[in-house]
Parts: sequence; structure tokens; C-alpha cells
Amino acid sequence: MQVEKFSYDNQVVKQFAIATVLWGAVGMLVGLIIAVQLYLPELNLGIQYLTFGRIRPLHTNAVIFAFVGNMIFGGVYYSLQRVCKARMFSDFLSQFHFWGWQLIIVLAAVTLPLGFTTGKEYAELEFPVDLLIAVVWLSFGANMIGTIIKRREKHMYVAVWFYIATFVTVTILHVVNSIEVPVSFLKSYPVYAGVQDALTQWWYGHNAVAFFLTTPYLGLMYYFLPKAANRPVYSYRLSILHFWALIFIYIWAGPHHLLYTALPDWAQSLGTVFSIMLLAPSWGGMLNGLLTLRGAWDRVRDNPILKFMVVAVTAYGMSTFEGPMLSLKNVNAISHFTDWTIAHAHVGALGWNGMLTFGVLYWLVPKMWDTQLYSKKLANLHFWISTLGIVFYAVPLYWAGITQSLMWKQFTPLGILQYPNFLETVLQIIPMYILRSIGGFLFLCGILLSAYNLIKTARQGSFIKNEEAEAAPYKNEKDQIKRGLIHRWLEKRPVQFALLSTVVVLIGGLVELIPTYLVKSNIPTIASVKPYTPLELQGRDIYIREGCNTCHSQLVRPFRSETERYGEYSKAGEFVYDHPFLWGSKRTGPDLHRVGGKYSNLWHYLHMEDPRQMSPGSIMPPYPWLLTQVLDTTTTQAKISVMRSLGVPYEKGYENFANEDLENQANKIADDLLNNGIPAESNAEIIALIAYLQRLGTDIKGGAK
Amino acid sequence: MKSNKILLMIFSLIFFFFEQTNLLAANEETLDKVMKTMLVVTLVVIAFVLWLAVVYSEKNDSEGKTFKAPLAAFKKYLTRTTPIEKEQEILLHHDYDGIQELDNRIPPWFSILFYGTIIWGAIYLLNYHVFDDGQVQTKEYNLEVHQAALEREFLIKTGAFLNEETVTALSDAAVLSEGKDIFIKNCASCHGQSGEGLVGPNLTDDFWIHGGGVKNIFKTIKYGVPQKGMISWQTQLDPKKMQAAASFILSLYGTNPPNGKQPEGEKWKE
Repeated sequence: MQVEKFSYDNQVVKQFAIATVLWGAVGMLVGLIIAVQLYLPELNLGIQYLTFGRIRPLHTNAVIFAFVGNMIFGGVYYSLQRVCKARMFSDFLSQFHFWGWQLIIVLAAVTLPLGFTTGKEYAELEFPVDLLIAVVWLSFGANMIGTIIKRREKHMYVAVWFYIATFVTVTILHVVNSIEVPVSFLKSYPVYAGVQDALTQWWYGHNAVAFFLTTPYLGLMYYFLPKAANRPVYSYRLSILHFWALIFIYIWAGPHHLLYTALPDWAQSLGTVFSIMLLAPSWGGMLNGLLTLRGAWDRVRDNPILKFMVVAVTAYGMSTFEGPMLSLKNVNAISHFTDWTIAHAHVGALGWNGMLTFGVLYWLVPKMWDTQLYSKKLANLHFWISTLGIVFYAVPLYWAGITQSLMWKQFTPLGILQYPNFLETVLQIIPMYILRSIGGFLFLCGILLSAYNLIKTARQGSFIKNEEAEAAPYKNEKDQIKRGLIHRWLEKRPVQFALLSTVVVLIGGLVELIPTYLVKSNIPTIASVKPYTPLELQGRDIYIREGCNTCHSQLVRPFRSETERYGEYSKAGEFVYDHPFLWGSKRTGPDLHRVGGKYSNLWHYLHMEDPRQMSPGSIMPPYPWLLTQVLDTTTTQAKISVMRSLGVPYEKGYENFANEDLENQANKIADDLLNNGIPAESNAEIIALIAYLQRLGTDIKGGAK
Repeated sequence: MKSNKILLMIFSLIFFFFEQTNLLAANEETLDKVMKTMLVVTLVVIAFVLWLAVVYSEKNDSEGKTFKAPLAAFKKYLTRTTPIEKEQEILLHHDYDGIQELDNRIPPWFSILFYGTIIWGAIYLLNYHVFDDGQVQTKEYNLEVHQAALEREFLIKTGAFLNEETVTALSDAAVLSEGKDIFIKNCASCHGQSGEGLVGPNLTDDFWIHGGGVKNIFKTIKYGVPQKGMISWQTQLDPKKMQAAASFILSLYGTNPPNGKQPEGEKWKE
């Protein structure tokens, strides 16, 4: 048989590996800064671009899309070429993909602190960047599918299945969740409102975890773990079962982020049951990982690479057990909106993604530089620091979450809230926040250690830019579908495989999204709910710009402890004009859905100037710039028009005199402030924000009673 | 077996954790339930320990062959796997860049978990949405509120729950010092540390916007005056605390603190 000679492209893998460590360190540093800001709010140094609300999205985006993202691409480019026995389809596309992705990251790092955000978690980037993401992502997909098609290996290895599912699903998620109408170059409104927007967002958000943090990493695990352990994969059958079950079931589980909200009950229940069903398919991945190490456990003891991988797979198993548990309503009632969720997310991100990344890098870099790891000792030290870091990070947050939640729910024997002052429940857990930041610091130290170790390794070796390889060409033999070998048949057909996985992931999404969009009874209308006034709309956009929703929810759950604290629980019909929805996912501060009319304008003014004036000990940062910055009213017209095009019933032509209404309302608020001894400019941003806050959750009072 | 122990620990922790949350809202009935479940848990733990003892009993029979206890055999069945020495038999002819694959059967316990959760899911959906036995959130909420209302009614009847009709001004030092604490924590940000008035009015003079005297002050604290920025405290402070705060405010009369705000409202005569 003739053997073809070709070479693997290591250059692009090297680039992605460097980017992984670089952005990882940056992302974790930002994480550490915001962790410290929770007990030292002054750490924004009085600079509006560095407040928690603005750089928390920077942290999440950097870690998910820059750190993990670059590792995915590096790992895929390395392993895909080898299991396909082919060089990447196009070197140009590889380079385009790499530099395009880095450009996106830089754009994110610039636009997010500047306040250009859609307000939707993990999808904060505005539409020009969204478009760029789509283009770069498709170039990655084209390059990948092209490589698979010109492969020399007959069948696609299980890692490749996961890569394909990742590509098609992320494409769908990104496109559907990012449909938005531009107002200006860096401002847009999503086409969905309220409950629909919430469901779409968490269908996306949950599956960003599934198809960006999980499936591609399972693919990496299936390549790098057997390689590093030099053992055969435990069970091929299990691979098939858990792959298809995982991608089919995962997509349904999004609504578990919206339990006890205004989302219809049937959708919530689907979220719960599919999350529980997800347990076994997730553990299938863990089993195949851990059991592949059968017969290699003695080597785990002195091989830091295997240690990293074992902890990664174990952390994966733990967080995929915890996830379904958190989807049960009685657990979620306690965990939701608290730090428990943050702890859970970090066991996944630091444990599963972080540790696997380091395991892969310590294996990959010596291979590509044709040398040995510079220091096993340092790698071991890194392992222990990181593991300790995860423990120090997660355990205090579990305690913090449970403590705070129980305090929120506690009643006195007389039936009055035991801790009516929200701040009291925050101050209680500050020590836990301090411990958590120490955990984060340890993990950051770990990545710096790895950077040093990897650079030293590269220095002592010599980089193989194009790795020579040879393989027999692909032989197209005719074959038939045979019983028991159907999957084997499918593994030879990448296009059919991709189409089938698309169908499989589409089902869950369609069943949940379409009825919520179309069936009216899912969102009972409330006649007294009216669109926002132009001033309130502008105020709402300031709320989004400052990222208030990263710390304040706008959703009162139907619990007595919440209706006593905040007021009537939130109804679906109240959010019909909310493009985007702002329910939030974490209550670092109190819920704001019923804050309208609760405090005076003056209170809000002074509170924004310096929260500690009104709430001593508050950990909210001051927003003095809102008092001096002038509201940009040139956008009002476009905003009203876009909102109307999305179905918000502003009268035709209203955009032309919307600014008159805006000024009238602003003057009223400024007059009220003046009467109370504060001469405020009526064109300051604070006035719009006050108008919005005073409107929040008040419409329902007008109609119902 | 280590992992079994850890799992058990996690389960019991989770269990105790839920029971604890139930206990917080405990009445006789739930306490009874808790006692019963505690008993069950204890029995389960004992059974588990016994099981551990039985499962590891391996004896040699008369011919010297190892004889496995039935439970040990069951455990072997649950994790059925091809021993590592025989793995050549199930090695597939797959080779991807040197990676090979075994064809181990799917562990039975895994299949049980997988199909078990699917069945559980079907039951859950039927329970909530077909037979309507499960409580969807609004039902659950209405029940919770209804119960609380009953309890409140009872407390008012017994006089444990003060209202603006029955409240009286107290003057003993303990109450006033509690009132002071409440005042500093909740009221001082608007009314000043000494009641001199800031955003809110001066509380040390003769003039009251919504009426002086303990009953009016109690009422203002309880219901608030939302349109003027005075928030309602009835969901946050229990009546005894509002009484203490009102009594403390009354004790501020005539203290004439520095930076006192101009009088507002009408002069109050008892």
C-alpha cells in the first residue's frame, strides 16, 4: 500500500496555547479584582470603567471565551489533525481564525468596561462584535469540517463527534440569542422581551456551559487523557450512549435557571426533569475518563499531568452531580440568587476546565517543542496550589450562599422577617468573601507558575513547526448499514453526522422556545402595564450600561419571605416591554423589581452619590459620575423607533416629540430634588436613572387594585 | 468503597440540610415528620454498616475456593466489567493516532441510573401537570401565605401582636436602649444620629407631620408615607420593635441636638 507523506500544523496550536495562558492570567486577575471589590468597593479607584458591574462581564467573558476558548481551539487543532491523519484544511483559515478570535477578545476588553453591553449574561458583546464572532466561528467550522472531509482515517474518533456537536450547536445558540435591532453603532435591543428573552437567554446561557465548557472539553479529554495515560479508552459503547444522550438532553435544561420565576410552570418542569436526566449522560464522560486510567493509577502518583486530569474529571463529576440537584425546586429555592451558584460554577470552571487545560498544556508543550517538561516539581507545586485554591474558593462560598439564603427566609415567631435589612445578610458573609478571594489568588498564582514552567520548557526545546507524518490514503469502500454497526457506518459520514446532531440538539430548543414565543396564554397580559417613558427608557439603558443587573435581580419569587421583603411577586405580564429582560441571576444587593416608589428621589440621589450615606456598611460602589454626566438625548428618537418596531406600542410619530416629554419628566424630578435641598441639573444621567427606578414594578399597582 | 462512604456523607448532609430548613418553619406536624425521618435515616445507616460487613465477607469453602457473599456478588453484578487481564478480548480494532478503544459493557448501575432518572422525569411531569398533585408555584405560595395569615390572626387575638390601637409608650431603660439600636440601624440615615433630621424631619421638636404621640408614630413607622419617602416597616420590624423605636423617638423630645432641622408639620398637643 502506498503511504502519503504530509505534515501537521503545530504553529497555530502554539499560538492558541500562548493565548490560553496569557488571557487566562488576565481573566483570573480581573476575577480576583472583582472578588476583592466585594469587600473593598473602593478598589474601582473611583473610576467608572472599573466598577464591579462593568468588569464582572469582562471576567466571565475572558475566562470562558478567551481562556477556555483558546484552549479549545488549540486542543482541537492539535488532536483533530492527528485523529484524522490530515493537516488542517486551510492554513489561511487557521490563521484567520486565530487572529480574528484575538481581535474579538481585545474588542470585548475595550467595549465592556466602556459600558457597551447587551446586559445578557455571557452574551454581553454588542452586535458588531456578535457579527465578527459569527464570521470567525464559521471560519473555524469550515476549517474543521474541511479537515474531517479530507481525512485519511476511515472513521471519526469520539473526540471528533464532540467537536462537531460543539460547532453546530454553538452556531445555533449564538445566532438565535443574538438577534437584535441596532439603535446606534454600539447599542441594540434584542427582539425578545421579558419572559421570552429570559428563556432564550438561559437556553443560550446554560448551553454555553454545555457546548462551550463541556462538549469540546470532553473531546479534549478523549484525546489527551488516553494519550497521557497510554491506556485504551474504557468503553466505546459508553462513548456512543453518553454522547448522544448528552447532546440531546443538555439543550432542554436551560429553564432550571428560571425556577420560581414568571416563566410558565410547564417550561420550569421541563428544565427540572431534563436536568435530572442529564446526570447519567454527564457521568458517562467521567466514567470513561476515570476508568480509562484503570491500570495506570500507579502512574498518577508521580505524573503531574495525570494528576491534573484526574482532578479535572472528578470536578466534572462533582459539578454535574450538583447541577441536577440545584435544578430541584426545593434546592433551587435556597441556592438561587446566592453565592452557591457562584461556587458551583467555579468548581466547574476552575476544576474541570482549568485543571484539564493545565494537564493538556503540560503534555502538549513538551511534545511540540520536542523536549521534557522543564520542572516536574513546579508542575506538582502548581497542582497543589490550584487544588487548594479551588477548595478555598468554593467552600466559603457554599457556606456564604446557604447562610445568606437562610437569613433571607427566616421569620421571627411573630411572623416578621428576622433579618429585614438586606445589608445585614451581606455583612454576615463578608469574611467568606475574603476567604474566597484568597482561593482565587492561589489559583492565579498557579497559572503564573505554569506560564514560567511552560516558557522554560519551550526555551530548552526546539519548536517543530510542521510535524512530519505519513499515512495511507483514504480508501472509499462501499459498505452497507449492518445491524449493530450502524454507528460505525455513521462515523464515516461527517456531513450526515453533523446534520443528525443538529436535529438532535434542535428538538429540545424548539419544543421550549416556540410555544413560549407563540402561545399567548403563557404570558397573561396585564392591562395597566404601559411602555416606559422616554426618560425611563434612557434610565434603563444607564442601568444596563452600569451593569446594575450583575448584582441586583428584578424578580420577586413567589415566596412569602420575598413578598414580605420586596412586595408582590413578579408576573409574566409585567415584563412585556422589557427589551432585554433584566431579571439578573445573583443578589449581591436586594431585588429591585418593586423598588419603584419605595424611597424618595432624594434618597436615590444621595444613595447613588455614595451608598454608604444611606446604608452604612454597604458594599455598593459610589456612582458620583451619574450626578455630573449629561444624559445623551440624541438617541431618544432612534430608541423609541426601534422599540416600536419590536412591538412596543408607542404612537406613530411619538419619537419626534419624545424628548419634550423626557425634559418635562426630568424637570419634575429635578424640582422635587430642589424642594428637598439638592440643586440637581435636570439633564444629569442620575435623573433618568431615578425615573427608571421609581417606575420599576409600579404599573401593576395601578390596574389590579 | 471510599467513594461510597463519601456519597453517603454527602447524602446525609443534604438530607439534614433540608430537614433543617423545614425545622425553621417547624410546627408540630413537621417536627413529627422530622422525627420519623430521622428514625428511618438511623435505621438506614445501621443497615448500611451491616451491609458493609456482609459484603466483604469472603470465605473459602471446603475445597478452598473463594466463596462470595450474595451481596458481594450483587455488587460485582452492578459494576460488571471485564477484568484488566482479559482486556485483549474486548479490544476493538480502532486506532486513532495510537489511541485504542475497549468495548467494555456499560456498567449496570449506570444503566439503572440513566433509565431511573428518565422514569423519575416522567413521573414528575405527570405529577405536576397531569394529575395536578404537585404544587405549582402559585399554589405553593398561596398556601404559604394562607397559613401565615392564620397564624397572624391568632397572635393578634392573644395580644402578642401589638397594633396601632393597642400600642403604649414604654419608658424602661432596656426598651429604650433597644429602641436606640433599632433607630441607629434603620432610621438614622434619614433622621440623623440624634433624630435631628436630615432627609427626613426633625424628631426632637414639638412639630409632627403625621401626628405625634405613640399611636401616630407607631402608625407612621408601620405603614410609612411612601409618597414622601418614609418607607413602611411592618414587614421588617416586629411590633415590639416598632414600639421600642417609637418609645425611643418619644424620649428624644426636647433634647435639642446640634444641626437640628427646621420644624415641619403642625404643633402637636396630646
